Amino acid sequence: MKGIKQLVGTAHTQTVPVAQAPNSQQLKDALIKQIRRSAYVYRVDCGGCNGCEIEIFAATTPVFDTERFGIKVVASPRHADILLFTGAVTRAMRAPALRAYEAAPDPKIVVSYGACGCDGGIFHDLYCVWGGTDKIVPVDVYIPGCPPTPAATIYGFAVALGLLDQKLHAKTHQPEVQKASLKHTGIPLDIKVMIERQARLLAGYVQGQRIADEVMDVLATCSADNVDSKIAAYLTKKDDPRLTEIVNILLSQTMEALTGLSGCSNSTGEKVKPREVTADE
Amino acid sequence: MFKLLKTVIKTGEATKKYPFAPLEVCEDFRGKPELDAEQCLSCGACTRACPANALIMETDVKTGTRRWELSMARCIYCGRCEEVCPTKAITLSQNFELAVTRKEDLYEEAVFSLADCCQCGRPFVARKLLEYVLDTLAQSGVTGEQLKLRRQQLETCPECRRSNNMLDSENISHLRYLEEEL
Repeated sequence: MKGIKQLVGTAHTQTVPVAQAPNSQQLKDALIKQIRRSAYVYRVDCGGCNGCEIEIFAATTPVFDTERFGIKVVASPRHADILLFTGAVTRAMRAPALRAYEAAPDPKIVVSYGACGCDGGIFHDLYCVWGGTDKIVPVDVYIPGCPPTPAATIYGFAVALGLLDQKLHAKTHQPEVQKASLKHTGIPLDIKVMIERQARLLAGYVQGQRIADEVMDVLATCSADNVDSKIAAYLTKKDDPRLTEIVNILLSQTMEALTGLSGCSNSTGEKVKPREVTADE
Repeated sequence: MFKLLKTVIKTGEATKKYPFAPLEVCEDFRGKPELDAEQCLSCGACTRACPANALIMETDVKTGTRRWELSMARCIYCGRCEEVCPTKAITLSQNFELAVTRKEDLYEEAVFSLADCCQCGRPFVARKLLEYVLDTLAQSGVTGEQLKLRRQQLETCPECRRSNNMLDSENISHLRYLEEEL
């Protein structure tokens, strides 16, 4: 059977992609030269979540419109120049995918689409998954993303057709510096942690951290008398009622932590009513 | 008919110019994760958070290095690594043009060094992580003799620390439970 070794030891879990004909590269180069005008794409779904299909559809519809380059999605692999494999290649979809590959006329360009198609994505270690198109067929172009945006799809097609060069290359970082720099060293650590924690609580991890960083950058430049005016200037520049609310809460809590009292003036200038201190506090 | 044409002209062209002109993506777009290796502590928070196991960290005790690897093929661009990074060393950029013809180009790696235990000389913790912890302690107000003591403590591997505690008779109280009873 194609793609499966004999059941001896653990070797049967190793995958063998379909072998390519020796002159396939030449044929492919000739194909790319010939189909300059129009490339027909057949979409092979090997057990994906349909997210990739939606993005392919978005790439062919008017906003991104791949058909202006002649890239057209066709209904049969027999018409196809490009095979677009999406999904993590589940056990059940392996044979249909291979049938589609066989049905497409040689030479064909195989594109592995999406995180699942490239390497199995989040399904890479599932028992029923082969984990990537390159496990069953030889792949020419990988388009990563979960799912790739329509623009990334167009770029991937352009790479497949040899119109654009790939921009990504393998990279190895060799960090020189043996020390990471600390942020916001001007602010006492407990206050900093309090602001960050509260901001994350109010606005979520990414946005909250961003807000905390910005507020602390402003606070670091302030002295005791111009805090209010600087924060007010920052808030008017941003002009976002949600941000204003969060920053006011952050500042009042900071003042509370610094002075042990609630009741700082917020940016609008009005005093927040002091909280009544109960006996058990 | 004229009404239709009027609407069509009014709407203009909806198609993006993309491959010929750069595409504008929104501010929070999650594209290729970029590592700032200078800031990375190799603490491994991102590898823990990564739902797709696209981020891997391997510690090699023999050479005293820790290797960080990102597989762009497996990455689902969720931004969890950006969320958890304590030093903002990893950020998701606006770059979406990631298609490659060779799979090896989808991998990115970084090599960090480990710090040796000051007693047994065995590498046991990422050097930058250790320095970061000490810097944070210094910022929180631990100074002078205390900081030196802490540095010595933290530069000792857990096994050596344990044996130190056992051999240090001051730390052992044989009568603890008896005293509690009394």
